[in-house]
Amino acid sequence: MANPVKLIGAFGSPFVHRAEVALRLKGVAYEFIHEDLDNKSDLLLAKNPIHKKVPVLVLGDRTICESLVIVEYVDEAFDGPAILPTDPYDRAMARFWAHFIEHKSSRSSWLALWLDGEEQKGFLKEAKENLALLEAQLEGKRFFAGDSVGYLDIVASGLAHWMSVLEEVTGVSLMGSDANKYPALRRWAKEYTSNDTVKQCLPDREHLTAFFSTARKDKLRMAARMMLQQ
Amino acid sequence: MHPMAAGGEHDEVTCVDFWANGFGMRVRIALHELGVGFRFVEEDLRVRERSELVLRMNPIHRSVPILIHLGRSICGSINILEYIDEVWGQRVSTRLLSRDPLERAHARFWADFVDHKVFSTQTMFLKSKGEEKEAAKAELLGQLKCLEGVLGDKNFFFGDEFGFLDIVLIPFSSMFRGYEQHGEFDLEVECPTLIQWEKRCKEMESVKHVLPNEEMMYELHKKWYGIE
Repeated sequence: MANPVKLIGAFGSPFVHRAEVALRLKGVAYEFIHEDLDNKSDLLLAKNPIHKKVPVLVLGDRTICESLVIVEYVDEAFDGPAILPTDPYDRAMARFWAHFIEHKSSRSSWLALWLDGEEQKGFLKEAKENLALLEAQLEGKRFFAGDSVGYLDIVASGLAHWMSVLEEVTGVSLMGSDANKYPALRRWAKEYTSNDTVKQCLPDREHLTAFFSTARKDKLRMAARMMLQQ
Repeated sequence: MHPMAAGGEHDEVTCVDFWANGFGMRVRIALHELGVGFRFVEEDLRVRERSELVLRMNPIHRSVPILIHLGRSICGSINILEYIDEVWGQRVSTRLLSRDPLERAHARFWADFVDHKVFSTQTMFLKSKGEEKEAAKAELLGQLKCLEGVLGDKNFFFGDEFGFLDIVLIPFSSMFRGYEQHGEFDLEVECPTLIQWEKRCKEMESVKHVLPNEEMMYELHKKWYGIE
């Protein structure tokens, strides 16, 4: 039988959530190794020397880092329902939008939430435009690729669960509470977060709100300023 | 003339790209590797406005390379490489990515490293001066040495066959001499294994065909980044 599967993760990380959902969709049992990101363990530094981040998937002496890489690996290495589409063009579209979410949409949303002043206004406008593009991609479908949870839903999960928490903590209205704005995304968020498999690894909303309301807030504000330099 | 892939007479393939675009070179090398005939449509990146074709085929990013196959566009160089591998690799039994999920994961991880670490570092290195430039130079050399570590004593990144990660990185070699001039270092000294790998890659027909003249590459980058 295969080596036991271990996932190094931390509370509150949407990236860790992606890895967990993928494993659970495939019915893969795994041991969750809890990492304190303020005090990184030797294990994490050894397993992910390049980025020193979570999640990290460990299978015996094999290690996989980066949440999107992990999700694709889990899809390919384990039996069970397909996470990515099977048609090459559909897969290319899924990867394109995953890349968009990861490097354009998430970045602009994150900066819109954590910056202030004129810069924040610019990112807020950009973030809303990016959300509108994702709204259009849903096109009234239940999930991004149709009737069941798949790759793009997993990649976009931050929007489904973390977005409203971060809006509450920062006081920034990004998706906002107007039900007429982004109706497809709102409906999708409910579908995603009430899915039986997803629910098992979604951090509790109250705990998540408390998590982001601590001294972490100032750290994240500072980190957002630094991101601008890159 | 580009050789045609078996059974692909009506698979019209177009690659929209610019001769000096490292990301696009990946796509063109991959197409050559798998013997896929394609039409090359040049987009002049020295001109600020993008063409109607690019705006229509890649409205979100408005960038190249763009692969157009059966009338549909695929954007993002890594994305395109995976698509090319999945569509044509099967037909000619030459896969760019390994069949082993773990090796595929590692190839994707390092491709992401090249795109999000090496590329931004080299850009910073070319654009900056003084202390910033020295810091970027050190970081770039560190990253190239890291990649040397991944290569180890293998011929190519994942063994004996030229493949995905080699294709992802080799376009950067067209700026290696440029980096050396800009930073006053010698890559044969700093990264000897990588230079050996570069020589091996340059023996591939696809690479020879696609990589541009290095002096022209450096001259163009000097203009782009305002280097004297």
